[in-house]
Amino acid sequence: MIDLQLIEECKCGNFNNFRKLVELSSPFAYSVAFRMLGDEDQAKDVVQETMVTIWEKLKKIKTAEVYKTWIYRVVVNKCYDEMRRRKRNPEFVTDEQSWKLISNRISEGPSAALENNETSRIIRILTEKLSPRQKAVFVLSELEGMSNDEISGITGISKSAVKANLYHARKTISQRVEKYL
Amino acid sequence: MEKGNEKYNKVLNLLRKSTPLLNSTGDIENEVLIRIKKINQSGVNLSEVIDFLFGWVYIGWVRRSLIAAAMALVVIFVYQQGVILKRIEVLSRQTIIINNGNAASSSDEIDKFLTQFRNSGHRFPSMNITISESQMKELQESFKEMQIKYKDLENIIEGDPDLKKLIEKKLIENNRTKINL
Repeated sequence: MIDLQLIEECKCGNFNNFRKLVELSSPFAYSVAFRMLGDEDQAKDVVQETMVTIWEKLKKIKTAEVYKTWIYRVVVNKCYDEMRRRKRNPEFVTDEQSWKLISNRISEGPSAALENNETSRIIRILTEKLSPRQKAVFVLSELEGMSNDEISGITGISKSAVKANLYHARKTISQRVEKYL
Repeated sequence: MEKGNEKYNKVLNLLRKSTPLLNSTGDIENEVLIRIKKINQSGVNLSEVIDFLFGWVYIGWVRRSLIAAAMALVVIFVYQQGVILKRIEVLSRQTIIINNGNAASSSDEIDKFLTQFRNSGHRFPSMNITISESQMKELQESFKEMQIKYKDLENIIEGDPDLKKLIEKKLIENNRTKINL
């Protein structure tokens, strides 16, 4: 649990406390980064960069709630940068095997949970046609279970824009699922 | 479409259940701390300096005010340009009035007169002649042309003594004033 006291102690320059903060923050930062990027290594890099940025701007944090919103915002922005970089050097191509994997996993029933590499393949294949913004809204809303208000605060876009992006993301993914599965 | 939605929900449930696992939190912590220590060792933190100098641009109302001010300046600039162009157009069409009885005898005097005419805003107090700017220019050009032709004629007469004598004789015969060549 991240509380204000821990953040205040980190502000004083205590590395051990900051290590604790990194330990507590990394899992949820990694979850968003991984689901947005669909790549373990890139997600880890984003988490590292995020935590360094947080260290640099720690003095501005006033409450624990603000900290969580802020860390999500930094992660999302770093993911945007990563996606922009990836767009310049595209390397991922949709393959039939990935769709087969999804099909198999669905048919296995509710007990199956995926491993990271399988999750990354599925996320990448499902979201490859989405814009970075649609991807962020989809991940935060559908996978991380956040409200539109929270997403609006994190991404800096209006609530109506969040709804519109989510609608388009769902529509695109549904169409792809219907077409390939 | 319903079938598509059903499959979409199944895929989504699968992804929600498969939370990405971050195995190497310790590695991330170490890497982050190494990077932070490097930043601290480098002395002056560049990002802090930049934040100190330009951090105010990230304040929402300041950004909006700056955008509004910039737009207002652009509008004022365009409006002023429009007014100036309109005024120039009106001035070039405006008629001028001259009551100067003395004819200008050299191109320098004509130039002086034109400058005086422009400085006075194309207006002279009492009116006898009314001419426009374009007519004024035409007059100036005609005068210069006439001066050149007169000089040419003078040179021809000077170069031919017989012609000179003949012209002088004719002028005396016609009781005209002798031209001082």
